[in-house]
Amino acid sequence: MEALLGGFATTLTPENLFFCFVGVLLGTVVGILPGLGPLTTIAILLPITFKMEVTSAIIMLSGIYYGVAYGGTVTSVLMRIPGEASSVVTCLDGYEMARKGRAGAALGIAGIGSFVAGTVGVIGISFLSPPLAELVIKFGPAEYAMLMLAGLAMVTYMSSGSLPRALLMAAFGLLLGTIGSDPLNMTPRLTFGILALGDGVNLVPLAIGLFGLSEVLFMARQKPDDMKVLPPPSRLLGFMPSREEARRSVGPVARGTVMGFLVGLLPGGGAVLASFLSYGMERKLSKNPEEFGKGAVEGLAGPESANNAGTAGAFVPLLCMGIPANAVTALLLGAFIIHGVTPGPTILERQPQVFWGVVASMYIGNVMLLILNLPLIGLFVRILDIPRAYLTPMILAVCLIGVYSSSGNPADVVIAVIFGFVGYGLRRHGFDLGIVILAYVLGPIFERSVRQALAISDGDPTIFLHSTISTGFAIVAALLLIAGLWPRRLGRPTS
Amino acid sequence: MIRPSWGRWGGTRIATLALLAAALVGLWQSLRLESWGFDGPGPGFFPQLMAAICVALAVIVLVFPGQAQETEGGDTEESEASAEARRTFGIYIASFAVLAAGAMYAGFVATTLAFTIVIVRFAEKRSWLAAIGYGLACAAVGLVCFGWLLRVDLPEGPIERAFYSMVR
Repeated sequence: MEALLGGFATTLTPENLFFCFVGVLLGTVVGILPGLGPLTTIAILLPITFKMEVTSAIIMLSGIYYGVAYGGTVTSVLMRIPGEASSVVTCLDGYEMARKGRAGAALGIAGIGSFVAGTVGVIGISFLSPPLAELVIKFGPAEYAMLMLAGLAMVTYMSSGSLPRALLMAAFGLLLGTIGSDPLNMTPRLTFGILALGDGVNLVPLAIGLFGLSEVLFMARQKPDDMKVLPPPSRLLGFMPSREEARRSVGPVARGTVMGFLVGLLPGGGAVLASFLSYGMERKLSKNPEEFGKGAVEGLAGPESANNAGTAGAFVPLLCMGIPANAVTALLLGAFIIHGVTPGPTILERQPQVFWGVVASMYIGNVMLLILNLPLIGLFVRILDIPRAYLTPMILAVCLIGVYSSSGNPADVVIAVIFGFVGYGLRRHGFDLGIVILAYVLGPIFERSVRQALAISDGDPTIFLHSTISTGFAIVAALLLIAGLWPRRLGRPTS
Repeated sequence: MIRPSWGRWGGTRIATLALLAAALVGLWQSLRLESWGFDGPGPGFFPQLMAAICVALAVIVLVFPGQAQETEGGDTEESEASAEARRTFGIYIASFAVLAAGAMYAGFVATTLAFTIVIVRFAEKRSWLAAIGYGLACAAVGLVCFGWLLRVDLPEGPIERAFYSMVR
């Protein structure tokens, strides 16, 4: 506690508060705007921080990272364009809430849920970092492989469609993830000799195609009368959730926060997995699961909280073990090292002022994010007033900028268009596209873990059952798949 | 004339057949790769496994189409689309083709202007003035705000190159 108070003393200087504000503001803007991802922004700003004091620099860069998590929510709710993989789930119910005139409430719930989750996540970092770091370090390739399998099994089990359909989507996502260079020896795979596929199918064109562009096609099919959304509230505080919505959000936020933080600790897409798991869990726990996908408050509050708690959780392996959880934290790790900070088990002893300064700045940054974003919601939701004739070209232009700028490769726009049609066809026939994205994100980690484990064991598959942790995950996966074969889910139409 | 719509399961099976075809192509390609090397699983191991699982699951779904996902269940119901609605939908599909081709060859401004005109003028039947004006506005905002001020990479054509040479 004394160390944390010292961290607050470090952060609460005018200079550090300013850099914290600049970081979360930039993060929010970057999350909303297409084209500028957190990776690009941190990379651009990194050289500017060279002359800054080390704690200030890291506070600002960290602010960008967790500010983006909220900014991505805005485009997901208002236009069904996920800014990043962890925002995909937000599209499902957040967008439907917006169509029902509850865009302000959706953004308000997301903002408050994110604040709660982010703050609890930071408390988790403050008090649980050392023991959690020791636990996570016990994960080897076999444990990771089984964890990924259990995660995929859980998401397919929790999908409301039949199990074979959900598994088919998972396998399709995993197969998509194998396109491009082999992660271990760089052999080109499934590229059909097309150079543009050498680096594989990138996440941005895949997600924007499956969700953003397919939505344009759905809008095109609708009659103009069906397109109308209820007007947003005109009162200043009209964007706040109603009492009923707030009551329904409490449980999902609490559950999403705990799950998000724990899953976020794991390197490799923890926040993404957490948001999907939270969505599935809320649907299973809900008394009205049929509302999911049609604007259920729980389907927004849980995943948004899990996403943000996962973002906070990702700092534990980064700060305590020097293990980045994703590409952005990998860049942050590079920034730490450039500034002479060596993340790892000894950071608490050698540079406590940096560690606790960053942790304290995250508390303050979450408050700043809330203050910054809630008043802007009324402005954001005006987008929904735009008629279809003018909204759809705007969405296409946003998609074009977002996809092209992610790689500078025009072929990615073609890929996004192809996946727009694929997404439209699959959505129309009730296939769960969220599972495709999750499997695609987890696929490379899953493959690497499976291959490394089999290489270590010389091809003996029982390595996946050698440790208690991996056996536990394997049992969970098996139970979920067996439970999924319940007759109602096997393939019998319900109507 | 209203065309008969495919039944719900017919549509599902067609989508599943497309997935099956994709999985078979993936399997065919991955079988060319080494599945096991001297140091363990090779580059073909995982794609072969996933493609085979995908083929098996697609066959199962073909036989048992199963319950559609509830999230977007409403989308599984075929509606009797009018000729006008089909025409609008067709033009939107054409705008996607313009988007893809334009990104490859024409640059951001020309592409944005083209697909905006296709949608606003032809699909939504607004005036030429509205279509061209809105297209130019979208293109200008994208080029100035993103391409110039934020230095975001945009597809480049002659217009972008001329603009950047003036302002950069």
